[in-house]
Amino acid sequence: MANIIDVTDLVEVYADGTKAVDGVSFSVEEGQFFGFLGPNGAGKSTTIKVLTTLLKKTSGKATVAGFDVDSQAEEIRKVIGVQSQETVLDNDLTGRENLVLQGQLQRMGGSELKTRVDDLLSLVGLTDVAERRAGHYSGGMRKRLDLASALVHRPKLLFLDEPTTGLDPQSRAAIWEYLAKLNKEQSMTIFLTTQYMEEADRLCKQLYIIDHGKIVANGSPSELKSQVGADSIKLSLQDGVAGELNQKAKGILEGMSGVNSVVVSDDGLTVYARNAGLIIADIVRAFDSNRIQLAGVSFSSPTLDDVFLQHTGRRIRPEELNTKQSATSMRFGARRPTRQ
Amino acid sequence: MTFINDTQHLFVRALKKLVRNPILLFFSLFQPIIFLVLFTQLFTKFSQVPGLFPPGITYLEYATPGILLQNGFSSALQSGTSVVDDINSGFLQKMLVTPVNRSAILLGRLSSDAFRVIVQSLIILVLAYILGFSAATGLAGILVMLIVIAFFGLAWSGISLALGLRTRSAETVFGIAGFLTFPLLFMSTALVPVTAMPSWMQSVSNVNPISYAVNAVRDLAIPHSFSLTAIASAFGYIGVIAVLTLGATLYLFRKVVS
Repeated sequence: MANIIDVTDLVEVYADGTKAVDGVSFSVEEGQFFGFLGPNGAGKSTTIKVLTTLLKKTSGKATVAGFDVDSQAEEIRKVIGVQSQETVLDNDLTGRENLVLQGQLQRMGGSELKTRVDDLLSLVGLTDVAERRAGHYSGGMRKRLDLASALVHRPKLLFLDEPTTGLDPQSRAAIWEYLAKLNKEQSMTIFLTTQYMEEADRLCKQLYIIDHGKIVANGSPSELKSQVGADSIKLSLQDGVAGELNQKAKGILEGMSGVNSVVVSDDGLTVYARNAGLIIADIVRAFDSNRIQLAGVSFSSPTLDDVFLQHTGRRIRPEELNTKQSATSMRFGARRPTRQ
Repeated sequence: MTFINDTQHLFVRALKKLVRNPILLFFSLFQPIIFLVLFTQLFTKFSQVPGLFPPGITYLEYATPGILLQNGFSSALQSGTSVVDDINSGFLQKMLVTPVNRSAILLGRLSSDAFRVIVQSLIILVLAYILGFSAATGLAGILVMLIVIAFFGLAWSGISLALGLRTRSAETVFGIAGFLTFPLLFMSTALVPVTAMPSWMQSVSNVNPISYAVNAVRDLAIPHSFSLTAIASAFGYIGVIAVLTLGATLYLFRKVVS
């Protein structure tokens, strides 16, 4: 499929000498859900500003929908929708008027615009409050209206600069749902920047990790995470207190392909493996045939933050680590011990 | 065509915002109305002093044109705060990622300012009429007055917009506007004739653009004084200011936009 964005060696130096974007190259396929993940000040917003024709690049080459960002800005503006980091609405206009104005500026009008606005209001669940001024909306409602205003003219390509920053988990989940739907059902290309690993992980098919204006890693979220190396699988055994059994289990596990290492600790065994999801079934089968009873299995995948950590030596947002770690666990019911 | 449509949509937006913030309208009308009611009462006898004011007219007739211009002047100076709002809220940026014509963003703003000044002027004219004012040149004269006032307002909107674009601070625009309003108003022929001023003030008044605009409007308002020269020189003077201030506005706006 054709690339809707092509960027080669993009550099953006601000007037004060700050190199916000430092030789970035990437391309985005049409229909892709594409993301930039990085901490504040990494160069995400600057890249979006160049691609949305708001900022002149210092050097490099960038095309959007086949149009050059410098010489064909006007063409680009017709096919893109942009939601900036801050929610931007005219607070004196009603929800409906905000959408209508946005459509008018995109040269829409008449019954086509009216129908489109009605549809969007119902898509983002604001039909009931459409005649109220946007200034009276709650934060989540404003964000949804802002998103709708970026969609009025059915853009081919949607730019979202940190679309859920500052939202409560419920509103965030609602936005994620709309975005996934837009990408899937209307095959709209979406370019998203975020500093939330969970968001990038959940939405993006193709992800670039950016730090200090440079791309440090790229791939699909699962590719990136598998680059980290190992998932960890925690196993606890029936009668696991007996050291003998643990040692036996350890021996079996170490003999399995795909296992990097096994550590025995007080609460059971921890297995580091390249792909926990694939190997768990093997472990269960191997234990079963060796008559070792499992009491519980849980595994946690490496997060995108682990990826960032590996490439930059820093975490994206240390204060969020505890809540953002994605852990999957399964609990087995205690099986009846079988006679040996 | 797209240019006209874009301007129209943004003109409507600006008017909606104005109507929905009646407090702003109230504040910009409050001062001229106070002037109209208080000054015309206060200075009625003063205006009878022989040799100072044109003979045979009341102070109300003399001052109404000045108050109309003061109103145009001070509400136009608010214009810059709106562009500051749009820059700071990100709304300007939101418009700039659409194909909207860049000049239409400015023209939509300016045309709504001009419209607002005309409406406010009509309100003041109606009040003045109730107090006893009438325009010697009739409805046609009032029409020309409104045109002079609207263009005068546009020129000052340019100053305010340029200030807003340069400083990006609504407080600064308000501050400078407030600072300019009174000296420029009192050192003009808006409220007293030039003959009643000390000589240094006369020389300020003689180059003060407000004097030219006021004289043109006054010539249309009071009997037997209609003068094409006054109107022509008012337009000439306003034109020069408009070219300068709107030029600066356009230059600064281009810098913001690119």
